[in-house]
Amino acid sequence: MSTQGRDLALAGFVAAALLSGLVAGGPALAPAEAMATLLGGGTPEAATIVFSLRLPRVLLAAGVGAALALAGAALQSLLANPLADPFLLGVSGGGAAAATAAYAVLPASLLGVVPAAAMAGAAGATAAVWWMARGPFGTSSTRLILAGVAANAFTSAMILAILATAPSPRLPGALAITMGSFAGASSSAVAWLAPYLAVPMAVLAYHARDLGLLALGEESAAALGVEPAAVRRRVFLAAAALSGGAVAFAGVIGFVGLATPHLCRLLWGNDVRRLLPRVALAGAGLTVLGDLVARRLLSPVELPVGVVTALLGVPFFVALLRRAP
Amino acid sequence: MGFAAWPLRDQVGAVIPAGSSRRIVTLAPDVTELVFALGAGRHLVAVAPFSDFPPAAAALPRVAVSDPEAIVAARPDLVLASTAGNDPAVVTALRRVGVRVATVDVTSCARLAEACLLLGQLVAAAETGQRLAADITSHCDAARRRAADLPRRTALYVAWWDPLMVAGPGTVHHDLLALAGLDNRAPARGGRYPRVDPEVLLDPALQVLVAPADPDSRPLVDALLRRPAGLRLRRGTLPLIWLPADPASRPGPRLLLALDVLLAAREAAP
Repeated sequence: MSTQGRDLALAGFVAAALLSGLVAGGPALAPAEAMATLLGGGTPEAATIVFSLRLPRVLLAAGVGAALALAGAALQSLLANPLADPFLLGVSGGGAAAATAAYAVLPASLLGVVPAAAMAGAAGATAAVWWMARGPFGTSSTRLILAGVAANAFTSAMILAILATAPSPRLPGALAITMGSFAGASSSAVAWLAPYLAVPMAVLAYHARDLGLLALGEESAAALGVEPAAVRRRVFLAAAALSGGAVAFAGVIGFVGLATPHLCRLLWGNDVRRLLPRVALAGAGLTVLGDLVARRLLSPVELPVGVVTALLGVPFFVALLRRAP
Repeated sequence: MGFAAWPLRDQVGAVIPAGSSRRIVTLAPDVTELVFALGAGRHLVAVAPFSDFPPAAAALPRVAVSDPEAIVAARPDLVLASTAGNDPAVVTALRRVGVRVATVDVTSCARLAEACLLLGQLVAAAETGQRLAADITSHCDAARRRAADLPRRTALYVAWWDPLMVAGPGTVHHDLLALAGLDNRAPARGGRYPRVDPEVLLDPALQVLVAPADPDSRPLVDALLRRPAGLRLRRGTLPLIWLPADPASRPGPRLLLALDVLLAAREAAP
């Protein structure tokens, strides 16, 4: 299939995922009625379900999926490490630890600040990783990965400690943060997330060429006008911001950030500039699809979306990997 | 309802050897209430945290229910656990060191009556246990008769609001709904208290919500009312019946109080 054909297939996949999320996304409305509502018919109640409940949820899932996939792609390129993803650097873990702690201890009237706590936790973890990774000769990729692994281990232990000691009524909610969910999606969450994600996404788009050149080696990249230290810092901060935002609004959703960039590389090659927009779209589509399956597989029981993205994505990923040269 | 012969079996089928019950430790607040209801409160040497009813229970020493060492340190000759919240591994650990443990598994009003019989035997208050069991049974029969005059409605019992978790079949809350003439719309899969899609709150087929009025719930419901999923609650097309928190949440003798509140609410707005 040509590149253009793959692009068309990707656009079709994302559009189909978004439409499926709107039409078949929940238990309260039959798909035919939801479709009629989308086309301008339907009752006011159906319109509320489709446009006020499902649309924000689908948009939030798309935004979070795009953010995670972009963060993963940026980190894999920056660190020249195929295992890099938002979790490897401890940023997601920092956000999740702060969110679970807030959920476990805050009075119910203050649970609205949990996303802010997640953002603060992710920012704190980012700062800690950057500080740990700084050596006498600056910040190298290896040091960043090691610092991230240490931060991740620490925040994982913190989360387990919080879960082990959380009051039993709060345990399901705290646990839900660690497994991901879009159940709390709202138009205001989308309104907050969209401009927030736009800034780090723009940073990554701006440095896409630099990331490609850095893959040739720092000296070669510097010879071509790239400032490796500045690019590393900005890309790392942008990826951390994307990961923190994702955790704040949806909890921990694994696999998307790790696997989506690899899937896209298999289909479109390694050129970072060409890769990033496609990674964002694929991450959005996969996450919307994962959420749809999480809601519908045992409907009305809702499965954790992070579990579903991994269960669905891993076999697909392995199949593509086996076919790759 | 005759007297069972030793050794007894508890409500999860484990054998309870014969022995004295003069130093009792409870691992759940509802079991503490049962022991007091049986008139054996004076034999309690330690109780689970949050055991605050009757008021005399609040003065008793607390024990860490997930720490077998702390439980053994209270030198109990009988430990009473519940499937609603206690870790079976703790029960196993206690049995391994020779502690007598009985576990109650109250998943319906009938099972609550059985628990009264069992605990009555265990704490040497068999007659009180029988009387309590008979009271519970007759109370539930009366509730069924009252509910028979009411139109049947579909309902969900909300155990937690965010994430939305409801009582499924096989729980005491499912039975509570059934006794009040309400058909539980919770899914049969996903565990006893499955997490469900918030969109179910907008399903027109759902007619009533029931929930314990614990302090944590009110702010979460207020937040829900501001969200699209709370539309029917906000408009009043989905009535929400609040039950007294502890009686509804603890499968103990005060469950009948919650049942009465639920029935009264249904009769006021059938």
